[in-house]
Amino acid sequence: TGPKTIKLAHGLDVNHSVHLAMVEMGEELDRLSDGQLTLEIYPNQQLGTERECLELLQIGSLDMTKVSAGVMENFAPKMKVLGLPFLFRDRAHAFEVLDGKIGQALLNDGEQYWLKGLGFYDAGSRSFYTKEKQVTTPDDLKGMKIRVMESVTAMNMVSSLGGSPTPISWGELYTSLQQGVVDGAENNPPSFYLSRHYEVCKYYTLDEHTVLPDVLVAGTQLWERLNAQEQQWLSEAVKKSVVYQRELWAKAETEALEAVEKAGVTILRPDKVPFAEKVSTVYDSYVTDPDIAQLIEQIQKID
Amino acid sequence: MEYIPILVLVLSFVGLLSIGTPVAWSISISAILTMLVSIPYMPAATTVAQRMGTGLDSFALLAIPFFILAGNLMNKGGMAHRLIAFAKTLVGSLPGGLALINVIAAMLMGAIAGSAMASASAMGSILGPEMEKDGYSREFGAAVNITSATTGLVIPPSNVLIVYSLASGGVSIAALFLAGYIPGILTGLFLMIVAMVWAKKKGYKRGERSNFSQVVKTFIDAVPSLLLLVIVIGGIVGGIFTATEASAIAVLYTVVLGFAYKEISFKTLPQILLDSSATTAVVMLLIAASISMSWMMSYENIPQATSDVLLGISDNKIVILLIINLILLFVGIFMDMTPAVLIFTPIFLPVVTKLGMDPIHFGIIMVLNLCIGLCTPPVGSVLFVGVGVAKTSIQKVIKPLIPLFLVMILALFLITYIPQLTLWLPELFDL
Amino acid sequence: MNFRKTLDSVLAKVLIVIMGVMVLNVLWQVFTRFVLGTPSSFTDELARYLMIWVGILGAAYVSGKNMHVAIDVLPQKLGGKAQKRMHITVQLLVMAFALLVMVIGGGRLVYITYILGQQSPALQLPLAYVYAVIPLSGILIVYYKMSDLLKPNA
Ligand code: NA
Ligand code: NA
Repeated sequence: TGPKTIKLAHGLDVNHSVHLAMVEMGEELDRLSDGQLTLEIYPNQQLGTERECLELLQIGSLDMTKVSAGVMENFAPKMKVLGLPFLFRDRAHAFEVLDGKIGQALLNDGEQYWLKGLGFYDAGSRSFYTKEKQVTTPDDLKGMKIRVMESVTAMNMVSSLGGSPTPISWGELYTSLQQGVVDGAENNPPSFYLSRHYEVCKYYTLDEHTVLPDVLVAGTQLWERLNAQEQQWLSEAVKKSVVYQRELWAKAETEALEAVEKAGVTILRPDKVPFAEKVSTVYDSYVTDPDIAQLIEQIQKID
Repeated sequence: MEYIPILVLVLSFVGLLSIGTPVAWSISISAILTMLVSIPYMPAATTVAQRMGTGLDSFALLAIPFFILAGNLMNKGGMAHRLIAFAKTLVGSLPGGLALINVIAAMLMGAIAGSAMASASAMGSILGPEMEKDGYSREFGAAVNITSATTGLVIPPSNVLIVYSLASGGVSIAALFLAGYIPGILTGLFLMIVAMVWAKKKGYKRGERSNFSQVVKTFIDAVPSLLLLVIVIGGIVGGIFTATEASAIAVLYTVVLGFAYKEISFKTLPQILLDSSATTAVVMLLIAASISMSWMMSYENIPQATSDVLLGISDNKIVILLIINLILLFVGIFMDMTPAVLIFTPIFLPVVTKLGMDPIHFGIIMVLNLCIGLCTPPVGSVLFVGVGVAKTSIQKVIKPLIPLFLVMILALFLITYIPQLTLWLPELFDL
Repeated sequence: MNFRKTLDSVLAKVLIVIMGVMVLNVLWQVFTRFVLGTPSSFTDELARYLMIWVGILGAAYVSGKNMHVAIDVLPQKLGGKAQKRMHITVQLLVMAFALLVMVIGGGRLVYITYILGQQSPALQLPLAYVYAVIPLSGILIVYYKMSDLLKPNA
């Protein structure tokens, strides 16, 4: 048999840390396998949105993709836990969990849905940005329309903080902010910067409510197509790619914050405690879900 | 470069079209045939099915059925002819008066919403029958409607410019929006000139000059209808609703007014809903098919391969820009706008920026190019809508479309080679 | 009334209802956000899924009425027997596509999304329900094309 090609699609631009790390993965794969295993990357949503790409993995016409854990949760429900606000004490805690046993179990959990998680890329933490009103306490969010991702957890979080969660597609958000359909949104610094939402929103409140990582996923159909040696190569290449992406991400985050500040955005660093206290109601809704409740407990135990 | 998929694609597509297969099915069938070159049957068939479904999974697309519906309601509900009557008293006595109204209205509507398909369906269903009643050929009316609808994609607000900003890695949306005004209006003016000349040549009857009291009377009649424009624009600008939601408000308003005029009843409403959903379905199947086709092309790396070959020809800026314009015009023949922007921006933008071109300027050029593509057969969503609402056929509208295409291309070349037309406004506002 | 006519009118009624609900749904979205101040969380998603249904199910309705846009310059020029043969070929091709891609491919898509339990983000609705319209519409198109071919003087 000749060389095998792995087709990998994602929704980000070619300058994004995720894409660069994937290129690195391809080079590593090429080196390890001596050209027997090659990676073909399709950036910019060429083959579909994140949800659609996961479906293509299940269908079998695509091999790998990168999605937000928030998208993954609609396929593999245990991932929901990562969307919980203030779940992690800090970023170090988050990495400890994601790179440890719990993270591995979450990645493996996808297999029963034909989606094998391979690793977690860093997607920073999400914070609120608002157009006209400064937000330093949860009370400031009262009555504000905040755009959220279409995720039950995200909506519950904004409601519990007193805001009105408004699902609007990412593509329509710029004009919606500009025209005042919503008063603000929430995302990580590089996305805030690259989407140019900082042209409209002049306040960025770094409450860092959610640490929602990106997940690198392979279809189980691809995994079965590879022999043990090839699986080994792929795992190694992924590992290297993850380390590299996290370095790039850290740099991109600093650069993004500097750039938006230079563009006139006021960066606020609020006391996170009142925010964390208010969202406890979000956790209450998971008491009845034993899987999630158990995961929350395990995660909180990790030092 | 892999030739087999391209060969299968082109041959099957041309073959299917020429034996009279409906365009949407031709696209879908040649997409699956091409896919079968490299993907086994089961995953390939499932993927095409998935693309058909997810191709329509967009909130922004909703403006299409709603404006089709609002257009039908305005037609049946007595609003359209009141608007036309008023417009006639204003410019009806000029050669091609109704066509001029169509262009201006499309630009206005584009300045409100930003969906060319919605504009084509609304203007086409409102003004089309009026033009025909006045002796215009149905095809000429459709051609003017189709081309003028695309000006709304360049005149802000424009969702496609937002897509470009994302694909280009963050070119300022505000700057892109400002940059779109002059090119959009320029293109509209060019189309109006052609419409006037064509109407004069064909000897379409001019309206009579109206006296002041007629103007006032028709204006008062038209006020409730004109108010729709105020509600829609005001609602969007005032931040009450998004462009898509505005289209639903337009439906509500037209229903209420239609009932008030006693021209619509609960008896006639279902038929209007059915007609609108049939028109919607025609358009939607075409979009769904185009999305399958675009997916397959990206999967086979066809866009990348094509541009590699063509860009190997020269490194002169003027020549490269000419080649890129030609490629994009060609791409637009087969591809829908959003996927084309997403696929070709990352390929071309690094090349042109290396040549010293402003990314804002390039974004406008790209969108203008693809605007022309939206009106060209065989794959052109605005063309399909325009032909669909006018109840004519693609081959019949081609003849009146040609002169309109030529001036669109002329405008495109002016905008390509005179960057100030694009960059003056954003620079004026320091963006 | 024969079966085809009954089917047409059922399909028409379904389309009318979906279209109407689509409008009301988006109006509700504006109302909840602008008047009530608590934006509805599901209307965006519901509207998109209804549109998929109108588009794909409508495609079957339109197929039954032979309303899809075609470029029939060549068949018209040839006329007579050749035109008839081309017409039959087109019907067969569309039927084959509907069967092999929409019914079988779409059926597999529904099966996959059903057994793997994918849920929509806002409504928590199984995606299989949304995609079910694809094989359904495929079956209807196969029926319409078959009935066209079997009709005398088709
Ligand atoms: Na516009
Ligand atoms: Na075209």
